[in-house]
Amino acid sequence: MAIVAHHSRFSKIAWPVLAWIVALLFFFPIFWMLLTSFKTDADAVKPEHLLFFTPTLENYANMTENYDYWRFATNSVIASVMATAVTLFVGIPSAYAMAFNPSRSTKDMLMWMLSTKMLPAAGVLYPMTFLTKNILGIFDTHFLIILVLSLINLPIVIWMLFTYFKEIPRDIIEAGKMDGVSTWGEIREILIPLAWGGIASTALLCFIFCWNEAYWTVRLTTTDAATLSKLIEGNRAPEGLFFGRLSAVSTAAVGPIVVLGWFCQKQLVQGLTFGAVK
Amino acid sequence: MSNRTLPRLLQTPAVLLLLIWMLIPLSMTLYFSFIRYVLNSLRRPEWTKPSISNWRGFGNYEFVLNNKDFILAIQNSLLIVCSILFFTVIFGILIAVLINKSFPGRGVVRVLLISPFFVMPAVNAVLWINMILDPVLGLQGLAVGGLNDAIEGLRNAPLVGGFFSLWPDFAPISFRATQTSAIAVIIMVTWQWTPFAVLIFMTSLQSEDQQQKEAAILDGAGAWSQFRFLTLPHLSRPIAIVVMIQAIFHLSLYAEIEIVSRGNGNKNLPYLIGEFANNNIGAASATGIFAVILANIVAFFLLRMIGKTLME
Repeated sequence: MAIVAHHSRFSKIAWPVLAWIVALLFFFPIFWMLLTSFKTDADAVKPEHLLFFTPTLENYANMTENYDYWRFATNSVIASVMATAVTLFVGIPSAYAMAFNPSRSTKDMLMWMLSTKMLPAAGVLYPMTFLTKNILGIFDTHFLIILVLSLINLPIVIWMLFTYFKEIPRDIIEAGKMDGVSTWGEIREILIPLAWGGIASTALLCFIFCWNEAYWTVRLTTTDAATLSKLIEGNRAPEGLFFGRLSAVSTAAVGPIVVLGWFCQKQLVQGLTFGAVK
Repeated sequence: MSNRTLPRLLQTPAVLLLLIWMLIPLSMTLYFSFIRYVLNSLRRPEWTKPSISNWRGFGNYEFVLNNKDFILAIQNSLLIVCSILFFTVIFGILIAVLINKSFPGRGVVRVLLISPFFVMPAVNAVLWINMILDPVLGLQGLAVGGLNDAIEGLRNAPLVGGFFSLWPDFAPISFRATQTSAIAVIIMVTWQWTPFAVLIFMTSLQSEDQQQKEAAILDGAGAWSQFRFLTLPHLSRPIAIVVMIQAIFHLSLYAEIEIVSRGNGNKNLPYLIGEFANNNIGAASATGIFAVILANIVAFFLLRMIGKTLME
């Protein structure tokens, strides 16, 4: 790196130490939430118990009682898993067609798909409420949340799959055609096994985005299909001293996703910049 | 089936779904923005139906433009977005440069650094506003309290006591107040999105031309001029992309605003739309159209940039 081109002994030590300090600072809020989740509500706000306290699991044990955590978590899992499945089911054939049979309009098509992602959700808030509540009657259903999550992630998923599929030599697919394999067979028996890694990481990223979505899941649900975003949003201001239990439920809501996220850092760059940064 | 129809057929579901998703709600917003439409009105019950006979022309737009909250929301949106962009880009570059060279534990450092990005926005806001920034019970309150206690103790100390008795008591800052809640939002979103900038810049730094760099060192270029004339130009494109992607995301910030202050004096456009949508649908829709236009201006440049690399 430029700034440490001169390998002085000082910079050899100071550089990593500084990097570690910055990393720990950034991680600190998450660590603090985790630590607080093991304190009782009373201990959580006492300065003398800031670091030294008797750890307890009661906040986790009482999550169901305090917040009905598992109901919201189940909804989040259903919505995210199903939306990811639907997105892949619609996205794979589409990306396959664009990658292996590109036409002059393929580029414009991809750009148009991305442009739908850039529409601000708030701009269509009332029509969505109106349509789902008054006309279709699907407000606050799993079906609606799955549909919306699929639609908002479809452009990114098609985009990522497209960049993975492009890397596969066309000859392999052509060879399949010669052997008289049907298109569906081609996708299932040749494409999916070959692009398995790319599809898996796309799915992972899509799942994370679905899990963390916090506009439609809050505005288009009340109780039945409400996800963890809605649960946390509803407990925004803990009345009085509930830091312990709030930390526990928050940790349970983000913990698995943060860990999953560690495994798809590279895909994140590609997925979020639409391949524009390499 | 011919060679051409099959690919089209495979794309049809995705295209159709996105087309419906984009066109129907948006055209409804457009329509509602031109009529008088409220959810509850005892005085004018005919306005509670989205009927064409309530046509208002650009009246809703005029109403919104003359609304004090709208101007505030635009200002606040821009303040929040620009501040976040400024801090994430600066911190992003510094940290990416810092961890670009390998050192013991670099992998762990990367994992720790990226973690905030995966925290769901609602948890991010609840965590920061309650446990960290709260003026009484949060770490901020405890830190300020501890500082005051320490000063109090020093006032009675010999020799330095006279000096410390001149010090005032520090007051913690309440981040839920009108003037400060935007700052709380900026802090928490910067924390969440700096890792994103770091990740992008780091990826880009990996592809920096090392030979050029070595040549520069041979020519006696210092660390600063290497950074200024080689690294920074190399990062210009990633910076532009980080700025545009974040602008699009942050223009629609919602959960953080809602949780920190319930929009109390700290509204942005999405929040204002939500507020209008409680009754005045016409105004909510007109505001929505403004939000769409604003996002489109940014998206236009972003898409052009992506389009260039598309078929490489």
